[in-house]
Amino acid sequence: MTEQQPRQMMGASYVWLRRASPLQWVRPYWHRPLALLAVTAAALLFPIISRNDANIDSAANALAFAALALGLNIVVGFAGLLDLGYAAFFAIGAYTYGAFASFQIEPAWSSFWEPFQWLGLVAHTGDVVHFTVSFWLMLPISAAVAAFFGVLFGAPTLRLKGDYLAIVTLGFGEIVPIVARNGQSVTNGAMGLNGVAAPQLFGWSFGVRAWPYYYVGVALVALLIFTSTRLKSSRIGRAWMAIREDEIAAAAMGINRVKFKLLAFAIGAAFAGATGTYFVAKLQTATPEMFMFPVSVMILVMIVFGGIGSVWGVVLGALILQILQSWILQDLSQWLHALGRLINVQWLQQIELVQSIEMIFGIILVAMMLYRRQGLIPATRPVQALSMAEQTAQVTTGGVPHIERLGVLAAARSSSDEPLLDIKDMTVRFGGLVALRSVDLTVPAHSVVAVIGPNGSGKSTLFNAVTGLVTPDSGTVRFAGDDITRLPPHRVLDRGMARTFQNLRLFPSLTVLENVMIGRHARLSTGAFGALLQLPRTKHEEEAARVQCLEILSIFGNRLIPRVDHVVSSLSYANRRRVEIARALASGPKLLLLDEPTAGMNPAETLELAEQIKNLNQLGLTIVLIEHKLDVVVRLAHKVVVLDHGEKIAEGTPDAVRHDEEVMRAYLGRSAAVA
Amino acid sequence: MTTGALYLQQIINGLSLGAMYALLALGFTLVYGILELINFAHFNVFMVASFIGMWALEWLGLSGQNVTLTGFALVSALAFAFVVTMGAAGLLGWLIERLALRPMRAVRGTAAMITTIGVSYILFNAILLGVGADSKNYPNPLPVLSWDIGGATLRLREVLIWCISIVLMIGLHLFVNRTRLGKAMRATAQDAEAARMMGIDVDRVIVTAFFLGSALAGAAALIFGLYYNYTSFIIGYSAGLRAFTAAVLGGIGSVPGAMLGGVIIGLVEALGGQVFAVRWTDVIIFSILVLVLVFAPNGLLGRATPTKS
Repeated sequence: MTEQQPRQMMGASYVWLRRASPLQWVRPYWHRPLALLAVTAAALLFPIISRNDANIDSAANALAFAALALGLNIVVGFAGLLDLGYAAFFAIGAYTYGAFASFQIEPAWSSFWEPFQWLGLVAHTGDVVHFTVSFWLMLPISAAVAAFFGVLFGAPTLRLKGDYLAIVTLGFGEIVPIVARNGQSVTNGAMGLNGVAAPQLFGWSFGVRAWPYYYVGVALVALLIFTSTRLKSSRIGRAWMAIREDEIAAAAMGINRVKFKLLAFAIGAAFAGATGTYFVAKLQTATPEMFMFPVSVMILVMIVFGGIGSVWGVVLGALILQILQSWILQDLSQWLHALGRLINVQWLQQIELVQSIEMIFGIILVAMMLYRRQGLIPATRPVQALSMAEQTAQVTTGGVPHIERLGVLAAARSSSDEPLLDIKDMTVRFGGLVALRSVDLTVPAHSVVAVIGPNGSGKSTLFNAVTGLVTPDSGTVRFAGDDITRLPPHRVLDRGMARTFQNLRLFPSLTVLENVMIGRHARLSTGAFGALLQLPRTKHEEEAARVQCLEILSIFGNRLIPRVDHVVSSLSYANRRRVEIARALASGPKLLLLDEPTAGMNPAETLELAEQIKNLNQLGLTIVLIEHKLDVVVRLAHKVVVLDHGEKIAEGTPDAVRHDEEVMRAYLGRSAAVA
Repeated sequence: MTTGALYLQQIINGLSLGAMYALLALGFTLVYGILELINFAHFNVFMVASFIGMWALEWLGLSGQNVTLTGFALVSALAFAFVVTMGAAGLLGWLIERLALRPMRAVRGTAAMITTIGVSYILFNAILLGVGADSKNYPNPLPVLSWDIGGATLRLREVLIWCISIVLMIGLHLFVNRTRLGKAMRATAQDAEAARMMGIDVDRVIVTAFFLGSALAGAAALIFGLYYNYTSFIIGYSAGLRAFTAAVLGGIGSVPGAMLGGVIIGLVEALGGQVFAVRWTDVIIFSILVLVLVFAPNGLLGRATPTKS
């Protein structure tokens, strides 16, 4: 869109910008592949150009930290789980390789070991066994072991809020080195592992040369970048970001929080495990001091510096900070010494910047948080705002333009005479307060039921209890014939019940389309491997979901379609309400629960939305709505239920309820009812 | 020593450690109660304060272990050291809030917590680079005076530590419950938005919480120095983790809870070191933290729940 329509208001500068671009002769389509090619070529040619072993070695170390930063980025950047003990998984990977490829563990030889010797996993030296498992085999094994510990550490802490998670992971990060120090038999304690084997390739040992390790590092980082980018743009990545943005909304949209948090922990830990093996093979020893808290902080600084959640950003951040540590600060110190001699200042001659690297890290961390939280390369780039013409375009009301094409709502059309939702005797208490007292509610299939009542009468609590966000103290909820009482929220959505929230619970820093795509989560099946391999089936599923989501957005005419790539926090209040409804519709529900859908809308917008809700109902969708605007209720509802102080005080057609004495008293007070 | 006396001795030691952890835990709890923020800078405000206390005592000419004071001289020297250390630590907390945390007030998510980690790291390295990595001998002006209780030794320093801690905790209790600012603090902890509507200067309340919490960390730091007779740049980490565990155990956000939790953690450390090996103490304390968080997130006296629902 922006390509064909030069901006009228800023036309001149826009043209100038385009002409000044050095890549003007390259089509935008080729920018990414060309950049990728340039980076790859630079990475591959570096050792050939540099020819300095110390520099290549520093670069190989920097790559190890880039790999760690990528792993932590999955946990902190994608899933929003602050892990302060990430170095623990690095240690686990390192010691796993150390145990199976060093002289540390040497059991007595017996015939039990013969098959392993035949496989080349152990050697018979003297009368003891010497483990000689290949580096290449240990890379995935260490990753798996670390992933296992990731799940083990993660599982008890998953119910904790973000900040508690931080302190618990901090503790785990402390315990692992303590265990390494005290578990002498496996780790050799503070002395460090003995004689870890160097990797071999077709019988040729890497030894202590720097360049083979460098190339393994490049391959490792490339693999992890590939994994991160594929996961980020998949169903998995969207689920992680949803959890990061708003856990409760994520659960209500069908995301199994426990599963996806554990997946993030496991994948993040696996990255660190593989890197630990690489690092210990390169150093050929390991001591507990290599995995202490400062290492976890350094990796955190790297991702904050590069851009939390940004794959290329964290790689760049890690490389820059490592190069700063190993090259720039040394050179800078030398220059300062020279300057000190020149102008005869004593303290300048003695300054050692390398020793203050951790201080510099602390300053970078605070400065980035205060002045540039998005990092060097932000994870999301802001989309240009709509032009004046687009913003003031004639509003088309949309409605449901291609009824037969909205295949998403197929589930809603199934016909059955049974009531779709049947709530019996539901009571919810918050401490001493009774929010709902033995409420019964029946929602016939394909109808619209409105729940009204004064503020604080328990309407939203009713929704929360039905969708599993609040556990009722007693009562049952039957949905489409099944008992769904006490199901967790994501299972409730899976059954075909979707909701919106009174105070809007969108995923604020994601785009309109991403928000709606997350609504589709429960109906898609791509797993971690599918997302990595991008098989035709996965691509097809993703593309189909995209089309369906756009179709749903087109219900609202041109209100949302021009804004699909905008971040939802930049939308107007009314448009955010529409996005939330679209997100709920994307899950293909049978029953839609709308909590004050027209709040904050002007009369014209309210009428427009009421019409759209009516159209959806005509398609077969059953709807329960909480609403304060009585004209909307009268226009839409087949049945009205009135709550007051947590009790149902009336039920019937809109007309009947309107003249109910009990209702008048609740709304207007006793005297009005009498008069 | 008999086994009974040995345990009695560890209880005496544990109560002293507990008093220190309680004072430190109060800083976590005051800030968390209002901002729902785990202040990692608190770990190293404590560490920096221990050096300030050392310098204050040395300034009085009490360096080394040999100079002991008695009577009025001792009381005034200690009073001076406590006032200077608590004031300086409080000022440090005030500065941290103003410079690093106030700009983060409106930012969602973990950003503020990451900032406190950065601040903590800066303090840590400032002492490491400025003072050096070796641990320093703490001035020890207390006379050697002890009583025998059932075979265990009760020294003057323990009695002093208990008295000072009790006075400070009573002071804090009175401040929170009897003063105008204390009432504003409790109101802000309940609902910051409503407190603001009622004309409470929430920024002032927050900065007061940081000042008070850090000042109490200053007192804890001086107690640490007088008890262990050394200080070093690394003491913040393990003391801080224990104090945080104490705050969670007592119920984070609860002032009496932090005091109770501190005493329990002190006893666990002393007795745990007796029953298991000392090198596993960290693991024991940390296991308590995880178990409390997972199975009893409200702690012993807490009201706020750390789990999201």
